[in-house]
Amino acid sequence: MSPSTVIAMLLAIIGLPILMTPVIMYSCRFSEKLRNLLSVATASIVFILSLLLYPFVIGGGEIQFTLFEVLPNLEISLRLDILSFCLAALASFIWLLSTIYSINYMATEHACSRYYPVLIFTLGACQGIFFSGDLFSLFVFFELMSLIAYILVIHEETEEAMKAGYKYLVMTIIGGLALFFGIIIVFELGGTVSLGVGVIIQEVSTLAFIAFICFLIGFGMKAGMFPLHVWLPDAHPVAPSPASALLSGIMLKTGAYGLLRVIFHVFSPEMLLQQGWDNILGVLAVITILLGSAVALTQNDIKRRLAYSSISQLGYVLLGFSILNSNAIIGAVFHIFSHAFMKSVLFLAAGAIIWKTGKRQVSDMKGIGRQMPVTLGCFSIAAFAMIGIPPLNGFLSKWTLALGALDANMPIYVLVLLISSLLNALYYLPIIIPAFFEAPGETSPDSDAGHDEIQFDIREAAPAMVAVMVVLALCTIIFGLTPNNIAFTLSRLTAEFLLLGGAF
Amino acid sequence: MGLTDHFPVLIIVIFFIAAFLSPLVYRLARKFSAALILAVLTAALGMAIFLLLEVQQAGTVLYHLGGWPPPWGIELKADPLRLYILLVVLSVSLWIFIYALRDLHHELKKRVIGWYYTLYAVLVGSMSGIVLTNDLFNLFVLMEICAISACAIISIKEDRECLEASFKYLILSAMGTGCFLLGVVMLYMATGYLNYGFLQVELAEAFNYYPRNIFTAAALFIVAFGTKAALFPLHVWLPDAHASAPSPSSAMLSGVVIKIYAFALFLMFYEVFPRELLATIPLNEIILWLAGLGTLFGSIYAMLQTDLKKMLAFSSIGQIAYIFMGIGFNHDLALIGGFYHIMVHAVTKGMLFMVAGVIIYSTGIREIKDLVGIGRSLPITMVAFAIGGASMVGLPGTGGLISKWFLALSALEIGRPVFVLIILASSLLNAVYYMPIVINAFMQQEETKIEFKPVPRVMLGCMVAGIVVVVVSGFYTTPVVNLLEQSLALIF
Repeated sequence: MSPSTVIAMLLAIIGLPILMTPVIMYSCRFSEKLRNLLSVATASIVFILSLLLYPFVIGGGEIQFTLFEVLPNLEISLRLDILSFCLAALASFIWLLSTIYSINYMATEHACSRYYPVLIFTLGACQGIFFSGDLFSLFVFFELMSLIAYILVIHEETEEAMKAGYKYLVMTIIGGLALFFGIIIVFELGGTVSLGVGVIIQEVSTLAFIAFICFLIGFGMKAGMFPLHVWLPDAHPVAPSPASALLSGIMLKTGAYGLLRVIFHVFSPEMLLQQGWDNILGVLAVITILLGSAVALTQNDIKRRLAYSSISQLGYVLLGFSILNSNAIIGAVFHIFSHAFMKSVLFLAAGAIIWKTGKRQVSDMKGIGRQMPVTLGCFSIAAFAMIGIPPLNGFLSKWTLALGALDANMPIYVLVLLISSLLNALYYLPIIIPAFFEAPGETSPDSDAGHDEIQFDIREAAPAMVAVMVVLALCTIIFGLTPNNIAFTLSRLTAEFLLLGGAF
Repeated sequence: MGLTDHFPVLIIVIFFIAAFLSPLVYRLARKFSAALILAVLTAALGMAIFLLLEVQQAGTVLYHLGGWPPPWGIELKADPLRLYILLVVLSVSLWIFIYALRDLHHELKKRVIGWYYTLYAVLVGSMSGIVLTNDLFNLFVLMEICAISACAIISIKEDRECLEASFKYLILSAMGTGCFLLGVVMLYMATGYLNYGFLQVELAEAFNYYPRNIFTAAALFIVAFGTKAALFPLHVWLPDAHASAPSPSSAMLSGVVIKIYAFALFLMFYEVFPRELLATIPLNEIILWLAGLGTLFGSIYAMLQTDLKKMLAFSSIGQIAYIFMGIGFNHDLALIGGFYHIMVHAVTKGMLFMVAGVIIYSTGIREIKDLVGIGRSLPITMVAFAIGGASMVGLPGTGGLISKWFLALSALEIGRPVFVLIILASSLLNAVYYMPIVINAFMQQEETKIEFKPVPRVMLGCMVAGIVVVVVSGFYTTPVVNLLEQSLALIF
């Protein structure tokens, strides 16, 4: 593939959803079917285009292309390398599935003429983040996505949603200002913010440290890092479930992606390790992991429980970034994949339950597995993956992260991972076990019903919704069976690319 | 001498001629009175563009009025920087005037509309004069004209609130011009000149003999222009005046007029007072801190407002402080940021006041709390408000980010990152009061049914033009930034 084709494709991937937004908005006037069709078609085209980049990046291709200069040395530019490919492909895949899922899920909801255009627009902005060639464009797309996603968060327009949305908005703006501060310091120190020049900040200085902290605030906010996670458990559960899946599964990762770019392209891992700045990230990651899991235990609302679980899972990714050796980075990048699959299944399954039965409280979900076996089956697979049971992908990421921790001579991190796995088990199993092994409406487990045959009264969610969940659940298995799967290979190549500075 | 050589003075004079003709035309041929002002604004804009092109090729033009050379005659100076400001003034005035054509009939009594056109022409003419003049006394006269016509376009609405506000404005503005005149006298005593160029040369020497006079003059200038431009804490007149005026007047006053005085202060510091003087006393520092406080307090006051136009007016106090900050840093990047912000804020605040005007036109609502759900009936209007708000906050993709970028960059450049924090804090505060309005307008269901009057296409078109400029100025900055770099290179 010639570079110009690749650039055209990148532009199409970012531009198509954004251009389709008004079209979809307009098509709402004619028919709902057309609107749904256009949304799914756009998402699929973006997914296919992203996949088509595969041969280029796997051959070691790397592209940095300036679209135009906003200010001298400050440009809007595109970049394609293996890291951006991984996230873009992942994002467009989950997006496609969520869009398909939305068709049934949102059929009974209000204001769909707002939901679909926004959903597709955020896809474009999100791909823009991954294909940004410099921090400034990344910042532009990052803010664009975050601000537009606000509309997804407050979709229900309940008082609770508005409150959560306001919190989300204020935190997003604080994060954006922190990023602005960080980027301007980088520009001042290095004269450029391009990601294509290798390491921008060579020397250690107070300003450089301030910039690092600013990036940590700006991107860490998005990734739900302690102590900036406060918006997340409110904002993710109130959104419609497919949007929650995207918020937790993909949009959180943009924060992690940003940090990865900053660590490897603005600073250098050697510098962070030398200065001990990685410890800041490490400590925060450990707190994030443990706190997220611990608080998840106390939540009764299933989506809130999942949101807290997201916080702790993103902590794994941050932990990988703080260890900064080959295995840890592979684990972290692979966990971005794993968590995207697992958490989307969980949110979509929770959504299916809410859609079908209206139940949100974990305590009400007894026996629901007899009603919706496939949904709960997918939920269980993803939950087992979260706990880290082999042969699921969660195990593989934890294994690799733990190897990385041992390589770095930090067995304490392994302990943290194990404790968190235990906590994961503690808050996921009490959903799954009563769902299958207790009859609906049963008050105590030792009543007479135990002797009866288990009655399956199957009332599953819509076929398309179930199909989406099954596909995602299969992914958690496929990408966990052996380390010779495509996601793991890509993670490995990404880590090599990042650590060896470009050469495979 | 060809006609084109007289362009610098023509730009000013045609407005005054039009002002005299306008009442007459309004009486005899009412249809053409608006067209007359439109034609004059367009002609002036054309001349300014012509001059800019010429100046870029042939260098600064000095025009001697009546052929009298300075120091006795009046001198007009057309350099790229002044022409940039002039272009902003003229194009924004033209844009607001087009909007006013429809809005005025709603807000004013029919018999005063002709007078409004007159006052508008006088106001724009005097502002062009302030920008182009190179002579302190001439500046004083034009400032008085500008102040009185600004007062008049507030009080023309003839209700109690407007009269009170314009009276307050008149008094404080008179105090400002009084200070200015006093300062001019002191400089004249020390040097015997009123022309900027002569003063700058002479002051360097006179400074050794009359340092106190010159310091006092500098202090008086800060107070004078600070009052006129609503630099914190001399801003007290602005909120009432800008909020109660008819919406096109508010747009004009907040968008353009206050910046002219900030620019005049810049000229005092860089073209009148010698550079060594600035080095000996911390004048810059004073402006910088007042501006820093202004950005914060303007926003804090704005948060407390319940009236939409009052909120916008307070927001102007915060925004004008960015421009003063640009002057205070004494660094070319900061000045680029400040002057870029003159343009961005002129368009943004002009657009926001248009939005307020459209809302009043269509529904009669002025209170912020009544705006809930209004975006469903006035979508374009509230999108304009959202984009304007985003530019005030400095979100990426809007012009506001670019000015903040330059200001923050120069703060880092001179090693004072604390000002970056101030800029960021004020951005956050801006977000706190702009965002809820946008959210409420679009998201929540309206409880009481509001009656809507359809909005004229011209008014909508003006707002759409504003949106386009705000967004384009966030991406395509090269021509303006190049022009500013080029013109500031002449000063530094």
